[in-house]
Amino acid sequence: MNAEEILTLASSIVSSWDWATETSRPNPKQLDVKVNSLQELVPIVVGLRVKRLGYLSAIVCLDPGPESKEMEVLYHFCPGDAVIALRVRVPRENGALPSLCEVIPGAEVFERELHEMFGVEITGLHTPDRLYLPDDWPANVYPMRKDFDPNVLSAN
Amino acid sequence: MESKREPERFTIAIGPQHPALKEPGSFQFTVDGEIVTKAYVRLGYAHRGIEKAAEQRNWIQDLYLLERICGICSHIHATAYCLAVEQLAHVEASARAQAIRVLVAELERIHSHFLWIGVSAHEAGFDTLFMYSWRDRETVMDLLEGLTGNRVNYSANVLGGVKCDIDGEQRTAILKGMDFLEKRARHYLDVLTNDGMFLQRTRGIAVMSRTQAEVMGAIGPTARASNVARDVRVESPYAAYKQYPVTMALDTRGDLEARFVVRVNELFESFRLIRLILDTLPEGELMVRFPRRVPAGEVVMRVEAPRGELFYFIKSNGSDRPERLKVRTPTICNITSVIKLAVGHQLADVPMILAGIDPCFSCNDRTVQLSHAEDGSSCMMKWEDLRRHGIEHYQGLCK
Repeated sequence: MNAEEILTLASSIVSSWDWATETSRPNPKQLDVKVNSLQELVPIVVGLRVKRLGYLSAIVCLDPGPESKEMEVLYHFCPGDAVIALRVRVPRENGALPSLCEVIPGAEVFERELHEMFGVEITGLHTPDRLYLPDDWPANVYPMRKDFDPNVLSAN
Repeated sequence: MESKREPERFTIAIGPQHPALKEPGSFQFTVDGEIVTKAYVRLGYAHRGIEKAAEQRNWIQDLYLLERICGICSHIHATAYCLAVEQLAHVEASARAQAIRVLVAELERIHSHFLWIGVSAHEAGFDTLFMYSWRDRETVMDLLEGLTGNRVNYSANVLGGVKCDIDGEQRTAILKGMDFLEKRARHYLDVLTNDGMFLQRTRGIAVMSRTQAEVMGAIGPTARASNVARDVRVESPYAAYKQYPVTMALDTRGDLEARFVVRVNELFESFRLIRLILDTLPEGELMVRFPRRVPAGEVVMRVEAPRGELFYFIKSNGSDRPERLKVRTPTICNITSVIKLAVGHQLADVPMILAGIDPCFSCNDRTVQLSHAEDGSSCMMKWEDLRRHGIEHYQGLCK
């Protein structure tokens, strides 16, 4: 399948959730899907997986800074030549996302990283331990957030 | 851990490792006798916060920062970054620059695969092969030094093109080097597929089926050894791979031997590609002018590093530095797949299973902690001892 066919197939899968999603094509090889209902995230991923489009390349989190109340999490699926980005918004404070581990076991490390670097709670994660940060890293300090202050580390 | 509550079980911790590695990690294996029953991974011992640092540097400084993520595949990081930023800035490097990027990338793949043959032969106790393959690797290191001025961190890329050109003398040297390395690679393929002692450590071990590889998200040669046709150079050609198409090396067996065979076959493909590029190198400028500020936007760039797909995501806000830069290296995907694979295997196979994914395992004095399940007492062991345990275990089987 070429990129166009993959993205047409992906669009048709996502169209079953058209009440919860907004799609756009930022470039000819990419499909952006804004998922507005967190409950629908896992079912959409299952839908992609069933049609063999479920190769999850990475999970990227974007923090616009403390003045924004929300962060954006991007799930990049990269089947063949195409990129399908599922974009969800989570609150900066006490935000939580469902885990994809049941559908994509390899997502575990990405989710553990997302949790400790940005403070997004992942519900249903099998091993929610630290992956990269040291054991003595202070609680509730998330280094990849825009308002991270390195001085909190020397204070301890 | 759960194992500590169960009597007569040991948790064996491997790591933390040498900070010079790209992705050092700590592995904990729970064993029942000789069989691994549970595996756990903990990374971050050399987490340098490069993604955060990249947000505080400008586009040009980031190139040098990102090239230092990995000492073995430095060029491919710089290539991914340059291609992504060029796409954001709507600048396209010349055909000659793109071809030179591919040429250096393939030379880097040769150096990385030769290094890996040596490292994994060492883990298996086959030090003769280790010495010979590292001797041969010097050939390609010298070629890279002659071409770019550096043995590692070649710094061949700049935003908008490349720094180094190829003259007649370098061309002759590279062709001569390729002839020698091809001869050696043929010899290694013969050894790796016919040496009985070595096959005992690789054939039928750590078999990953195609479905397993797909579900667990294995990538690169590890996935291709399980017949998963996943290679960014083929699926989504970048730089000059459209002009110089690659044939994917695949194997159906999915065991450690297949991972060796796939990587050696990739070497032959690299030799072919390098000769072809040298013969048909397009004329043109080496670099084009690049703006200081990059227009706002987001870009996803995927390239094929020696270990598999390397993923870059860059978001620009229109200033002279990136708003967000995300790097996902191939080892992280393969570690999760192979760590699950270790369950059910002999402890003696663990060094080879880990080495089989090529996780930048180039140092060998990691420590291993053995803790007794019942009284919690523990003793320290070195990675070297675990490696020796593996070798002795298999020597015992030979007698």
